[in-house]
Amino acid sequence: MSPWLLLAAAALTYASRALAVAVLPAPPPRLHATLDRMPGPLFAGLAVLAIIDAGSTTPGVLGATVGALLLASLRSMLASVLGGIAGFAVTTLLL
Amino acid sequence: MAVVEVRAVRGMILAVLPAAFGIAVFGVVYGALAGTRLGGPMTIAASLLVFSGTVQFSLVGLADAGASAGAVLATVAALNARNLVLGAVLRPYLHVGRGRRALLAYFLVDETVGLSVAARRDAGRTLLVSGLVCGTAWLGGTVVGVAGGRLPALQPLAEAIFPVLFVALAAITSETLGNAGRAAVGAALTGLLITAVPGLAGLAPVIAAIVVAVPGRQPAAQPPRDGGERTEVER
Repeated sequence: MSPWLLLAAAALTYASRALAVAVLPAPPPRLHATLDRMPGPLFAGLAVLAIIDAGSTTPGVLGATVGALLLASLRSMLASVLGGIAGFAVTTLLL
Repeated sequence: MAVVEVRAVRGMILAVLPAAFGIAVFGVVYGALAGTRLGGPMTIAASLLVFSGTVQFSLVGLADAGASAGAVLATVAALNARNLVLGAVLRPYLHVGRGRRALLAYFLVDETVGLSVAARRDAGRTLLVSGLVCGTAWLGGTVVGVAGGRLPALQPLAEAIFPVLFVALAAITSETLGNAGRAAVGAALTGLLITAVPGLAGLAPVIAAIVVAVPGRQPAAQPPRDGGERTEVER
């Protein structure tokens, strides 16, 4: 791979990040209301994708996800991570 | 005031550490894999300039396959499409000028966007702090991998961290029961999309989120001013 191709890939990646954040104008209220509803389903979908990428048959991954889900109602990063680690440990040790 | 700011930054760092751990471990994996194919300097430069595991791992695969420059750039563009949506979601929370937003945009990855959106009014600083931590983890892991470091024992845990982080981010950014319901539907729809069209896996979460988010209450218009003109609330 040539350095120029790497630079072009880097420029494309940065441009995709900067376009909506820095170039386009602030969204109008209707679009803003829709965008405001997107984070939850977006990150839930990314969780599903991450499970599939990691190999959904891996017990540790599923156990960690279940552990995080059980504590999701606390809406805390720390609680979810601790739940995930506990779930991972339990399933890895038991299976 | 300074003590409060230090405490806030410390909180941001603590919140991003689990993500940084997973990112560092995969940085080592990437460094080890790409170092043998692209060479050490190019591999480290990629982590510094691109800062995207998805894109960088794909570049290695495409280089292995002897893909043309056009194919590489088309793949990179497709993989980065979801950044447009992530950026649009984050944009309303960044109350800084265009120049600073352009600089902060470098740090836009899934994990930093989630933490920044959850931080609401402190989104800009959260993006910067979490971005620096994640960027350092990714670059540091890459260097370790290129130098021959291996972390096979930690890889299963690192793989498990990412679904956990995204579950946490979905929970943190779902402030109402209705939004939590949307998150659950979004997850189910993503699974269906990936099963039905595996080639669209990278975009499935974005498509599902758009489908789920579009139906819903729209902001009320302001009462008419003199002359009967209606205006909507500006944000």
